[in-house]
Amino acid sequence: MGAFLASNFMHNIFGGLAQGVIYSLVALSLVIIWQSTHVLNFAQGAMAMFATYVGLTEIGRGVGYWWCVIISVVVGMAFGGITERVLIRPLYGKPEINPIVVMVGFLGVIEAVTAGIWTSTTRNIPAPFSQIYYQYRGRLILLSPFVIFQIALAIGIMLFVAALFRYTKLGLQLRAAALAPEVARLLGVRVHRMLTIGWMLSAGVGAVAAVIIASGNFGLFPTDMDGVFVAGFIAAAVGGLESPMGAIAGGLLLGLVEQFILAYWSPSVAPLSGVILLVVALMVRPQGIFTRSVNRRV
Amino acid sequence: MIKGRLTRTVTLLAASALTLGFAATGVGLSSAGAATATPGVTANSITIGATVPLSGIAVSYAEVSASANAVFNYINKHGGVNGRRIKYIRLDDCYNLAAFGLGCTAGPSTTTLSQTQVLVAQDHVFATVGSLGTAAQDSVLSYMKTNGVPQLFVNSGSSDWSQPSTYPNLFGFQASYQVEGKVFAQYIKTHDKGKSVGFIGQNDDFGAGGYAGLVNGGINIASDNHLSYNAADAVTGSISDIATDVSTLQSNGAKVVVLDSIPAFTSAILATAHQDGYSPQWIISSVGSDPISVNSPYEANAITFDSLPATNDKSNPWTPWLRSIILADKTDFPKFTAKSPMDGNMQYGAAFAVAFAETLKAEGKTVTRAGFVKTLESTKLATLTITPLQYSKSNHQGVLGGVIANISPNGSAAPIYFNEPSHVVYTTGNSKNTPIKTLPYVVSPIPAWLK
Amino acid sequence: MNFLKSLRVQETTRARLLSVSVLTIVALAISFLLPPVADSQMAGGAAITIVILGLSWLIGWSGQISLGNSGFMAVGAYAAGIWAHHHATTPLIFTFLLATVAGALSGLIIAIPSTRLRGPYLAGMTLAFSAAITPLAQNFTSVTGGEGGLFLNSLSTPSWFVHFFSGPNATIDANAQWTADLAVLVAGISFFLMANLFHSRTGRAMRLVRDNDVAAELVGINLGRTRTLAFVVAASFAGLGGALYTVINATVTPQTFPLTLSITLLTLMVLGGIGTLSGAVIGGIIYAFSANLVDHINALTGVNPTSNLGANMQGIIFGALLILTMIFAPRGIAGMGAAVQRLRKTRRSALASSSAVD
Repeated sequence: MGAFLASNFMHNIFGGLAQGVIYSLVALSLVIIWQSTHVLNFAQGAMAMFATYVGLTEIGRGVGYWWCVIISVVVGMAFGGITERVLIRPLYGKPEINPIVVMVGFLGVIEAVTAGIWTSTTRNIPAPFSQIYYQYRGRLILLSPFVIFQIALAIGIMLFVAALFRYTKLGLQLRAAALAPEVARLLGVRVHRMLTIGWMLSAGVGAVAAVIIASGNFGLFPTDMDGVFVAGFIAAAVGGLESPMGAIAGGLLLGLVEQFILAYWSPSVAPLSGVILLVVALMVRPQGIFTRSVNRRV
Repeated sequence: MIKGRLTRTVTLLAASALTLGFAATGVGLSSAGAATATPGVTANSITIGATVPLSGIAVSYAEVSASANAVFNYINKHGGVNGRRIKYIRLDDCYNLAAFGLGCTAGPSTTTLSQTQVLVAQDHVFATVGSLGTAAQDSVLSYMKTNGVPQLFVNSGSSDWSQPSTYPNLFGFQASYQVEGKVFAQYIKTHDKGKSVGFIGQNDDFGAGGYAGLVNGGINIASDNHLSYNAADAVTGSISDIATDVSTLQSNGAKVVVLDSIPAFTSAILATAHQDGYSPQWIISSVGSDPISVNSPYEANAITFDSLPATNDKSNPWTPWLRSIILADKTDFPKFTAKSPMDGNMQYGAAFAVAFAETLKAEGKTVTRAGFVKTLESTKLATLTITPLQYSKSNHQGVLGGVIANISPNGSAAPIYFNEPSHVVYTTGNSKNTPIKTLPYVVSPIPAWLK
Repeated sequence: MNFLKSLRVQETTRARLLSVSVLTIVALAISFLLPPVADSQMAGGAAITIVILGLSWLIGWSGQISLGNSGFMAVGAYAAGIWAHHHATTPLIFTFLLATVAGALSGLIIAIPSTRLRGPYLAGMTLAFSAAITPLAQNFTSVTGGEGGLFLNSLSTPSWFVHFFSGPNATIDANAQWTADLAVLVAGISFFLMANLFHSRTGRAMRLVRDNDVAAELVGINLGRTRTLAFVVAASFAGLGGALYTVINATVTPQTFPLTLSITLLTLMVLGGIGTLSGAVIGGIIYAFSANLVDHINALTGVNPTSNLGANMQGIIFGALLILTMIFAPRGIAGMGAAVQRLRKTRRSALASSSAVD
């Protein structure tokens, strides 16, 4: 068993999963917004990064790690709600490029303001668990307590979101507001409020991903979510923007594909993983692998 | 319809004219050195410039040119050189990584080239002195040559700066990365014999040169232990190379790791390795090892290469001299107090500033670009370096060698200094066949006119 | 009814040639009045204008969202850079043509899987492409020079041109002037080509596909081929712009084409005015003088440019401008000009109406 876990193959599985769950979280947060408001939120990563700054810099003031994580998530959710109210609401019903452009602008503002407040130097946030890899007879197993925490936390959040949508009244209202806003309104659902809650939920999930990123080796800096956002976006497109399950699967797939191309083909080609995966997936299903409604024009 | 088109064209032209006028007021139309035949030189002043990182990823190097400026201020206060005050213009190029870069004072269209154009075409500098960065300075080689402006004392150990037949006005300052790599190779062969060696280098001529030096010095590095990072990735935020590089070397079992990285990346690599429980023998290029810039407790006991005296060497006359100059310059070093530690960046800046002033002194009252270059090629310069600075017609590299130094492990509270346990100066050439020789450790006396 | 109106032939090629020539000559004249540093900025702006022309055509005219134009630009820039690095004596025109073709090819390769995609999926595909370009250039060191990039010889200014200048800085002034004029000329030619394309049959078909693809199919327009063509044209302009950028800077490095460049291009296009020719020029001007703009705003607001906030002012300014433009003036600066025209009861120009931003 130990020898198997320390094998090259498992190295890549663990590496791919650790990276993939983060992509999945970001993809999930994008899909929540897309489902409810049909907005592609380019500032998703930056908003989460900002929330992480507000929360995690508190560590320097002696506040415990877990409180800081909670602060980050709460700040993230508030930020998401305000953004929907102020920036997105005037754009409903406008051509799809308008909200994209606005969020691209917002991305620039958030990153610049963050750098303006906290400077753009990387901060190392102490990880809550050891990052020292386990070993088996002198060979490394690419799992550390932190990596296990990272994977477990991501799975926990995904289950939480799934349960919320499936088993709660709020979840039902959220889905109704997204799928059939007119009908939902007639049935007494406060559609606008649901859209705001959708954004808050999404921003909260994004903040968790940003916290994990910042606590690991990557560190916290104003653009630290840019690459992750792109990967999360690709993952969501692969899975289909209409499907939360698809987003999660897309993220894991991308993480693994990236890792295996890196290990078995060439590090030079690895940056193309996203393009390759997208081309293959979208050639097969132009609306994403897990999307059912093919006829719908998006 | 044509009428409508023309109205549109006129609107557009008006808008352009307005914007261009607006821009023109911003850049100014004055020309500093237009009065005499040699640009930048007047009867009582000489204007020089440099493009340096004053913000962004490589900001720790900002101290280098600040220190040079402090030395020029000191010289100016004492009457200048041959009656000329030295005016030193430093422009931020953000290590040529600006793009839409965060934390850079530069705009999206600002690059090393665009800032160099400001120095050359607007400020009419006599020469650039101490511009910094391998890729950054490579990018202006052709521009400087085409416009005939000397590019002096480039702050980088690339061997690109010593090509006198192609670029006669181009001069480097420090020992080449190849030389440094060969000296490291000799150290590894003596002290870490038979151990597996890993390498992480910046993905430009800095990393390439250092790696070539190690290989030419007889070190065998397996191809999966030869890794690199991209400085631009810290700006654009794409996937972290460093975490991958470190865990690759860790799982490959490298026991000695050579770093050709700038301080921000040295620091990140050391922190990542510490978090991963990985502690090889670190050997770090002089460019990325200054302990005060790296500012990491995990750098203790690392090996480095140094062509300047130890910063705490009180027996060296340049140490108190430079300290008092930096202490006096409250503009460039507002936070420096009598108790602040000096660092390698300050020595480096002062070293080329002194070299420039000395050449200017030797040049005499009449200063031309051609004359200056000729003087530089034929004068032995007394400066802070631990081996004399001597350029020639065929050698434009700069300092010929340095000592092996280590980073003292005296805790995180007290500043840690370069420690120079042995005063053996190693020198060699770039190629595989040039043997490594030793030079005497020379402390040049401070020239009387600079005291 | 937009598409019916746009099917009318509105101008003759000769009229367009006349107005583009006037525009180019005035730009050249302005360049003679500007100091050499502003000339260099102008050259960069001219290269970016060409790229924005292509982007504006793709997004504004064919209605396809692309975040990959920095990638197409990089392809052209590297094609020119690698060729000129090995063949320093090739006439410039050949280098430009080569880069244009290389850009077009990359556009074709991306278009084949992409034109079946709409909206966010298309944005995702093109974003993935431009995100991959920088690492590719960094990794294939033997061809691209890695992160250090490739270095070329600066443009050589003909000696007859230098004679117009005097003083100790004559060569420097002449070099900056010559580079700017060459760039403006290339941009002028590109502008003319794009202006014709806008008003050609293809241009009209493109708008019809954008506004009403069912109607377009009914009139016998091949949707897939038209959308692919839009990509190829946009990518060839981006390739040419990239090549010009390489030639005037005498260098090509991966850092020139980060992911954020695609966003910068989008910003500039929106500020100028989506789907308009003049918007592309305005975008280029903003690019060229952005540093001065930021300096002026810092001076006006009293922000210390060397402070931490000052160092990030440009990100804040451009981001805020983009948001405000999209919300309050989605047609950009060119659109404002058009609105003023309409207020003065000038006859409406079809160029101003772009339904992508209505």
